[in-house]
Amino acid sequence: MPDNKSVSEFEPDVVVVGSGAGGGIAAYVLTKAGIKTLILEAGRDYDPVSESAMLKWNREAPLLASSTPDKHFGYYDATVNGGWMVPGEPYTVAPGSKFRWWRSRMLGGRTNHWGRHSPRFGPYDFKPKSRDGLGMDWPVSYEEMAPWYDRTERLAGVIGANNGLENHPNSSPGVLQPAPKPRITELMIKAAANDLGIPCIPAHYAVLSRDIDHPDVPRQACFNASPCGRGCGIGAAYQSTTSVLPMAMATGKARIVTDATVTRVLTDASGKATGVEYFDKAGKAHSVRARVVVLAASACDTAKILLNSGKSGLANSSGEVGRNLMDTTGTNVRGHIPALEGRPRYNEDGMDVAHLYIPWWLYKEQAAGKLDFPRGYHYEIGGRFGAPGAGFSLGGMEDGYGVSLKEDARRYYGAQLSYTVRGEMIPNADSFCELDPDVKDKNGLPVLRFHWKWSQHEIRQIAHGIKTAKEMIGRLGGTVLTPDRTPEEAIEDGGVIIHELGTTRMGDKPSNSVTDGFGKSWDVNNLVIVDGSVFTSNAHKNPTLTIMALAWRSSEHLAERMRKGEV
Amino acid sequence: MAEISRRVTLSWIAAASSSLAVTGCDSQSTSGGLWKDLPLEPIQAKGYGLDAKLTEPTVPWPLTLDPVQRETLRIAADLMLPADSHSPSAGTLHLDAFIDEWVSAPYPVQQKDRDLILSGLAWLDAESAQRFKLDFRKAGDAQRRQVFDAIAFKKNIKPGYEKPAEFFARLRTLMMSGFYSMPEGMADIGYMGNTPSVGPYPGPTQEALAHLNAGLTKLGLKPV
Repeated sequence: MPDNKSVSEFEPDVVVVGSGAGGGIAAYVLTKAGIKTLILEAGRDYDPVSESAMLKWNREAPLLASSTPDKHFGYYDATVNGGWMVPGEPYTVAPGSKFRWWRSRMLGGRTNHWGRHSPRFGPYDFKPKSRDGLGMDWPVSYEEMAPWYDRTERLAGVIGANNGLENHPNSSPGVLQPAPKPRITELMIKAAANDLGIPCIPAHYAVLSRDIDHPDVPRQACFNASPCGRGCGIGAAYQSTTSVLPMAMATGKARIVTDATVTRVLTDASGKATGVEYFDKAGKAHSVRARVVVLAASACDTAKILLNSGKSGLANSSGEVGRNLMDTTGTNVRGHIPALEGRPRYNEDGMDVAHLYIPWWLYKEQAAGKLDFPRGYHYEIGGRFGAPGAGFSLGGMEDGYGVSLKEDARRYYGAQLSYTVRGEMIPNADSFCELDPDVKDKNGLPVLRFHWKWSQHEIRQIAHGIKTAKEMIGRLGGTVLTPDRTPEEAIEDGGVIIHELGTTRMGDKPSNSVTDGFGKSWDVNNLVIVDGSVFTSNAHKNPTLTIMALAWRSSEHLAERMRKGEV
Repeated sequence: MAEISRRVTLSWIAAASSSLAVTGCDSQSTSGGLWKDLPLEPIQAKGYGLDAKLTEPTVPWPLTLDPVQRETLRIAADLMLPADSHSPSAGTLHLDAFIDEWVSAPYPVQQKDRDLILSGLAWLDAESAQRFKLDFRKAGDAQRRQVFDAIAFKKNIKPGYEKPAEFFARLRTLMMSGFYSMPEGMADIGYMGNTPSVGPYPGPTQEALAHLNAGLTKLGLKPV
């Protein structure tokens, strides 16, 4: 797909920086509107059809496909040339902070391996300050976003059901694809949850249960095998490399250049963007001119590019570039359930993703001031007859040796449940990124230095999540396997859930935000941002679907402005 | 749907046949009753890197255990996971070669395991020699069981045996991971996945649902 040679003759109208969730959608929308679009990707070309390790057995990989410093999520994880460290592109963490930053360097970026969990933000999520006085309201409402969510879900292909719950919006009729049948473990979790007044419903995931017969880019329904994180060569699990990027290329209006690390947005004397500077693999600098620059490098890399573009950063009259950095809260509670011991075997792989999940359910209690934390969380639930590999475990029930050990394995296999908490973080003044004054990357540019602090809002939320998970395990007659920890110990470090957001937030005025509600820079008329950096808040809902829906809306708005000659 | 080829050849089985020539350290036939941390040179080999070819995995580092260590591991594997009516023993599935691949890897977790496991293998010989004046591999089955009984059961670890017990637990985890990843182990435990199918996921069987409902009823929960 990429064409690294003929870029100089291409003369693009728009240059899009990044080919992941936001950049892929921008390329798709702009080229469909007839706009010549150049996509610059920092990583190498990547083809999931020939490169993803679908259906490989763990035993075929080094160390049973175990996690290593070369492949942090295991040998078969789709991530190329990345993980928690990228060679030549270090970052630093300020004393007293803990933060980790996951990146990949490949066409399609992190869409090649993401979790595909795709809940919509709801009406409360776009107006959080109006509801509880904390953070900031978005300049868009759910009502404005709803049609864009419909469109995005249709394009990506999202399984799920309309559950009609408070602040968990339904999709329009016919948009969602059918959800798979729940597993035994999920039905068990649901039984206990419902008994305790907690909902447990079909989850929304960007995985196809029906074929999509696109003339250029057909995609097959999930064949109920192989982990989505390995990448999906049949196109069932959404990633930009098997959908929007080839669709953009099919218009004839797109060019992709890989191994092109954008370092700066270039500007003229009036402050208008004229293009970008990028470095190729050999470390040679290039510049590309375009009418419009669209940034979709990921929240932190977009902030890095802007902070490196000009003295106090480009598009930064508000001083908000790099501020308001958010991640999702995370922890996990596991339990052993005697009622699941020795249960009848069947193929429990299904669509790899969770078929049910527990959405946040205590909005009314929060509104009534009955909880000591303001924002919600959800549980991603798990437990199944999983593929044996390096992590094979009977949940700590292993003991002794001999024939009895084999008997125990038969009895305890598939008898553990897991409750993974994923919750909302409210932006705070102590969590941000800035340029490191000393450390430079391979291209000689200052790297990011991260500052991080969870507030009591997040700590108390995690405490509630742990307590409630234990109650659900207890209701099933189970034993909690996770060691007792304080919520401060149990909460994952910043960045670990890989939902970095907020570093160029959108707002209703130039003084409090970097862009308007269409991702347009307040300061630079022809600079648009379409990645997670524009998030004003990070709801307790995984962000990628919202990144894509916003990118679509912002890209259409940009196309319209270009048509009218406003840019 | 494209038929995707599924190799069943194990990299570590392929490697096992050539490993005997690639011996690293000497045999550790120490005597005396106590645990000793062996002084080991760190592994210098390279890992597979950040962009390995995922569809054709290879193990780039050489195996490093000597024939005596491998034999001791094979005996330990057979004792830990012996043949029964469901599956063969772990030793016959070359789990010693898997452990060799593991402890020869250049990564931090594996290097830590290398210290623990190689010291543990030496401890097996030392303990066996103290009790029976025989290396572990030369001891009889009942004698080997006496050594295992001292370190294998969580509630039965006597003072002074904590470190050997830690070795045993770690080796057991690795052995079980390798064993149940093999076709024979997966058949034993009843893993039926990684098998593509056309159409909607069929979900649990009637038998599985009946078992669930019996469990839910016992817990006073609503059956599905």
